[in-house]
Amino acid sequence: MTCPFLEYRDADGEMRFDTGRAYCTAASRFVQPMRADVCNDRYDLDHSRHCEIFLAHEEPAP
Amino acid sequence: MSYDRFLAGDPVIVTAALTGGVHGKEATPNLPETPAEIGRAAGEVEAAGASVVHLHARRPNGERSFATERFQAIDDAVRDHTDDVVIQHSTGGTAVPDDERHRPLRTDPPPEMASLDMGPLNRYDHLTSENTRALVDSLHAEMVDRGIKPELEVFNDGHRNEVAGLLERRDLDAPVYTTLIFGPGTLTPPTPRNFLTAIDGLPEGALFNTLGFGRHQLPFATMGILFGGHVRVGLEDNVYYRRGELAASNAQLVERVVRVAEELGRPVATPAETRTILGL
Repeated sequence: MTCPFLEYRDADGEMRFDTGRAYCTAASRFVQPMRADVCNDRYDLDHSRHCEIFLAHEEPAP
Repeated sequence: MSYDRFLAGDPVIVTAALTGGVHGKEATPNLPETPAEIGRAAGEVEAAGASVVHLHARRPNGERSFATERFQAIDDAVRDHTDDVVIQHSTGGTAVPDDERHRPLRTDPPPEMASLDMGPLNRYDHLTSENTRALVDSLHAEMVDRGIKPELEVFNDGHRNEVAGLLERRDLDAPVYTTLIFGPGTLTPPTPRNFLTAIDGLPEGALFNTLGFGRHQLPFATMGILFGGHVRVGLEDNVYYRRGELAASNAQLVERVVRVAEELGRPVATPAETRTILGL
């Protein structure tokens, strides 16, 4: 399961791209391509363990 | 003694790290990501004086790829745009399974050189690029099989011990070629004293390439030139030309370090001279 804060966008403010790129809605910015592998849980990566942005923004369990 | 190579005016090898695998166009729109963009950039840096291009591969949207097919597409584009440049593939890859790390070695033809990360490197707050000795040995074995010269990436002083260990475990063709890396985090802290310590501690006969991250790129390249080493510049390691001003291109960074080398009395190595120096 990919990170719930991940969106693919081709623009934000003055930044424009030819293809959709990984955008973190928690950090309100495009993320580095290496971090996008964490967002997408690729390889052995898990956003819930490996991403400090997710960990800082996740909702506490009710 | 490396300073003798400066006094002798030995040629300096300029490597251009064109794209990398960490940041992308979100950091600078001038960073090449697609095979066509990387190919054009390779032609520009070769014209500016680089004799080696250090390459990573990306998916069409800029995200990391380790697929042989993506490296092949990049190599084909580089060869279309260059005359004689030496192709060096990265085998680096934080949190990527070991078998993926081998795939950049399997293009046809293989790259003449490939990076070999000598040990662990922390990324962000929760990741480490482990680079175990077992992986180092298996990557080196495949490089030997394919006739690829390893470029030993030394992220910090502990990795000089790892170079010594690798030389005990395996036969490496002379000259051993290292890249000494300076910067933040796990890297060797970027001070002149640490630079001198690093070059003093290299194995006998080893050559060194000098890599400073960010604003350390130019001063460490200059020290590398002065102390008989070789240099790596490019947008993988530094996206700025000077404080607050993005570099316009990889070629702009190469042009500057070529001017520095020539002003200091070291000619820039041609691709043919680079092959002779490195024993390719």
